[in-house]
Amino acid sequence: MVRHPRVDAIADEARAAIGRATSSTQLEELRVRYLGRQGSLTMLLRSLGSLPAAERPRVGAVANEVKRELEALLELRLGETREAERRLERARHRIDLTLPGRRPLSGGVHPLTRVQDEIVNIFVGLGFSVAEGPEIEDDYHNFEALNIPRDHPARDMQDTFYLSEDTLLRTHTSPVQIRTMQAQRPPVRLIVPGRVYRRDADITHSPMFHQIEGLAIDRNISMGDLKGTLELFAREMFGGRSKIRFRPSFFPFTEPSAEVDVLCFLCGGSGCRVCKQSGWLEILGSGMVHPQVLRNVGYDPEEVTGWAFGMGVERVAMLKYGIDDIRLFFENDLRFLRQFASP
Amino acid sequence: MKIPYRWILEFVDLDLTAEQAADRLINAGVEVASVTPLAPGLRGVVIGEIEAIERELGESHGHRLVLCRVSTGRAHFSVVCGAPNAAVGLRAAFAPPGAVLPGDRHIASAKIRGTESHGMLCSERELGLGDDHESGVLTVDADAPLGADLVGHLGLDDHVLEIEITPNRPDCLSVVGVARELSALTGAPFRAPVIAVKESDEAASGLATVRIDAPDLCPRFTARVIDHVTVGPSAAWLRARLRAVGLRPISNVVDVTNYVMWELGQPLHAYDYATLARATIVVRRARAGEPFTTLDGQARALTEGMLLIADAEHAIGVAGVMGGANTEVGGRTNRILLEAACFQPGSIRRTSRALGLLTDAAYRFERGADIEGVPDANDRAAQMIADLAGGSVARGIVDAYPSPEPRRRVSLRMSRVRRVLGVAPPTADAARILKGLQLPTRAEGDTLEVEVPTFRRDLGIEDDLVEEVIRVWGYDKIPSTLPGGAIRLVQLPATQRQAATVRRALVGAGVLEVMTYSFSDPAYEEALRISGTQRPVAVLNPLSRDASWLRYNPLEGVLGVVATNLRRQQPTLRVFEIARTFEPAPGLPNEQRWLAIALAGPRVPSAWWAPSGEGPKAEMVDVYDAKGLVELVLDALGVHELETRPLLAGGVKGFEPDCHAALMTSTGVTAAEFGEIGADARRLWDISVPVFAALLPLDEILRLMPPPLRYQPLPRFPSVQRDLAFVVGALRAVTAAEIERAIREAAGPLLRSLTLFDVFTFDDGPRSLAWRLTFQADDRTLTDDEVNAIQERVARRIEERFNITWRGA
Repeated sequence: MVRHPRVDAIADEARAAIGRATSSTQLEELRVRYLGRQGSLTMLLRSLGSLPAAERPRVGAVANEVKRELEALLELRLGETREAERRLERARHRIDLTLPGRRPLSGGVHPLTRVQDEIVNIFVGLGFSVAEGPEIEDDYHNFEALNIPRDHPARDMQDTFYLSEDTLLRTHTSPVQIRTMQAQRPPVRLIVPGRVYRRDADITHSPMFHQIEGLAIDRNISMGDLKGTLELFAREMFGGRSKIRFRPSFFPFTEPSAEVDVLCFLCGGSGCRVCKQSGWLEILGSGMVHPQVLRNVGYDPEEVTGWAFGMGVERVAMLKYGIDDIRLFFENDLRFLRQFASP
Repeated sequence: MKIPYRWILEFVDLDLTAEQAADRLINAGVEVASVTPLAPGLRGVVIGEIEAIERELGESHGHRLVLCRVSTGRAHFSVVCGAPNAAVGLRAAFAPPGAVLPGDRHIASAKIRGTESHGMLCSERELGLGDDHESGVLTVDADAPLGADLVGHLGLDDHVLEIEITPNRPDCLSVVGVARELSALTGAPFRAPVIAVKESDEAASGLATVRIDAPDLCPRFTARVIDHVTVGPSAAWLRARLRAVGLRPISNVVDVTNYVMWELGQPLHAYDYATLARATIVVRRARAGEPFTTLDGQARALTEGMLLIADAEHAIGVAGVMGGANTEVGGRTNRILLEAACFQPGSIRRTSRALGLLTDAAYRFERGADIEGVPDANDRAAQMIADLAGGSVARGIVDAYPSPEPRRRVSLRMSRVRRVLGVAPPTADAARILKGLQLPTRAEGDTLEVEVPTFRRDLGIEDDLVEEVIRVWGYDKIPSTLPGGAIRLVQLPATQRQAATVRRALVGAGVLEVMTYSFSDPAYEEALRISGTQRPVAVLNPLSRDASWLRYNPLEGVLGVVATNLRRQQPTLRVFEIARTFEPAPGLPNEQRWLAIALAGPRVPSAWWAPSGEGPKAEMVDVYDAKGLVELVLDALGVHELETRPLLAGGVKGFEPDCHAALMTSTGVTAAEFGEIGADARRLWDISVPVFAALLPLDEILRLMPPPLRYQPLPRFPSVQRDLAFVVGALRAVTAAEIERAIREAAGPLLRSLTLFDVFTFDDGPRSLAWRLTFQADDRTLTDDEVNAIQERVARRIEERFNITWRGA
């Protein structure tokens, strides 16, 4: 390779300086010193005009080669030192990823809303419409139309809060059945969530609680359809292996009537504290709508049949979450509510 | 109702344990709450006789202590006894050393008052058979075999079924009824009680007259007369049986009436014949205020319409509820008149409630007695009295039954069974089931003709028989199918969709849903009720005074939640509730749905990134947090462009008057109220920190019908921003909203958005308010000169109009 004593001197000096440099700042300074506008190599290249014409191309070629070499070297060293410096900088501002995240405040629905929505959605999926009604009812819609006459012991089954002789806090969501059937011709498929009131208070009874009523009326609806529908519901609500059992019972507005038990999902039916060793949990009352109730709303019991059921949302929630005191739902201790806040 | 299992077995032969029988009943709809051994933990107690009282040992706790010699036939024991009824010749329950009493109490020889006592004479309570201790040791009949095991002798090796009967099955409020049910369920033959009366020659019709003046309330009344009775304690077996079912033995005559009531379900009453004026029974309505003293010694004022049993002169019983003190059977009674009757259930229920007398008799009559079983019950009781209390039964029964009830006949089509249940047993099986229930049944093709006996008042229509068939055949035979037929479009009420939107918005904003009772505590009235105009709906029969009204102010629920949680060291409160308030109206009261939000405490919980956290320098929520949540919810509900209007008066009560405002729509509807909770309310709930709240009348918002959502084209030209800051003097009443409105007016259509981005209060009082104005044109890029000119114009206009200073110049 062709050499030139002045170019060699600058090159040697620059290589040594670049090798000694320890920071990107120093390297930037060296770039300026050798390759900048006033840099020694630049100045040398600029002075080529004063050389004899025969030497110019040779010296020029040598100097340009050295320039490229130094540029590459600087780039390489800059890359190295910048990386080292960045690492040092990050090490200085260490990130502790174990610190808790900046969480937005979390809200949540009430556990009863959660369970109620879950139940309602199952029936909506089965083609049931949702209806609501007043919480204050008259005696007719709450009792008489449902085949519970005055001075009848069946009234003891639902201890009632009265507001006047004829108005009361509804003791069940069944009056909405009556109101809906009065307003609509069959077929009817209805699910009615709502607050109801009974004059009773202990760890499993609340003077106010929530009920969900189901009603299906059509030309050919049987108790088998009730059983099948509730089986489907139980599997959705309590898991695929759920089973239900019908037991005869009495409600004035259904005939035949059935209490429905679900196989205890805690012990699988072998008996535990929650199911009181019976293996079954009572979850709802149901039955075929009494012909008199159908007649009361102007339906012909020879033309249509149907079934109805009613279940307590609190009861289902207590079983599902293992809550042993119904009053917790209405105390609203934030520590209780937050347990159901996560979606 | 408690029923000893062995009693049931007197009427049906069952090859089942008591538990198994209970299971069968439960599966057929007769609820059995429990099956318990009758005399648990009783071992080695025998029948002993006090042969002699050897020595007086003085008094202990007011009782005379004696040393008795007790014989068990083969052995003799010296026993210290403090029972008041201890007497020579008495046969009683005796626990010799080695016997065990309930509670694992082992009897051994002991020294009492320095005297050796070998064993113990036991009271009913000590034996675990009842509550009685005061009357002394449990006695048995004088001819009871000495040394015999007490448990075996009294039939205490038995189980008691606690049966809970639904209101439709009064027939099962009896031993015979339950036995009939078990017979139908197992196929074991039912053995009806054999009722035969030995009668004397004297005719009852000559001894007593019965007249029913109120046949609508008393369709049947029977009377028998029994002469020469000796009233005294019942035989030990009868007392044991009554104790087993939870009844207190009284005297042989009364005990028999109770026994027959339990056995047949028909209440009975015995009158002392000698006290009846002219040996006449009149069944009539009471006169208003007619005085009467019932058996329990209570003087009662009767009301018009209550049904009475009277003699020729006076009332002698509240029909079907309780007898009278004036005709009570006692030790001197020699002749009795025995009543068995049937009363109208509703009348009995009303009377029993009105007098507060919930007796076993009323319980049965209000559910309905078996009108054809009335004379049988009377016969059965008369014979038992004759057997157990001596005496002779006069010939014949006086039976007033003005219009005999016809037997009901119900047809059951097997096609109906299949239609209702989705399945049906073969016709012959259905017929057999109904016959098993003692319902005479005849098959005619595919229809069963059923004659309904009077003891099954609940069977009135075809579907009742459908239930009887499936109940016995087994509910497990019902198939699982799904309803067919056309499906209508699923409808969700707008209220539900709205509630879901509200919940979604608030849950996303970190607010927790709460649910509180709809009841209101009058104690909060002072802080929450607008006196004069707001009348609460009151509950006639509240559980407690603090829940005696219905909620009229939507703040009550959330304020209670705030107070509860502050007491429980939960200072960071962000809660909402969707609930109703109630107000009187003609017809049913009005119900209004509300969203109520309440906030208190630190804005964020303590966290490393929020240095103030819940500590002393925490940043606390203020009224703007409440307002912001309202705006968020209203936005989600599609309600925009609201104007804030301070509510110095009016609106919902409970807010601080100077920190209470409404958000109004352009049509003048109040879409929300928000503010700080007033000092009165905080004091009543004992809340020491500021609380901020917001209320949305959900029903009214539902009526607003927001306009449909439409797309706005995105701007094609860049925007230009300018800031404007003004200083408002400390005492100037000008509001941010007024200035904003003026800015918009002055700036014209090129102003696209206006944001108040800084509010700062100087130490000496004036406030600085700074807005960012964003300008944009649809058709060109705005020039600086153009925008500067608008800014200048706006600033000057505001300065002049409100007499405030522009800081930006």
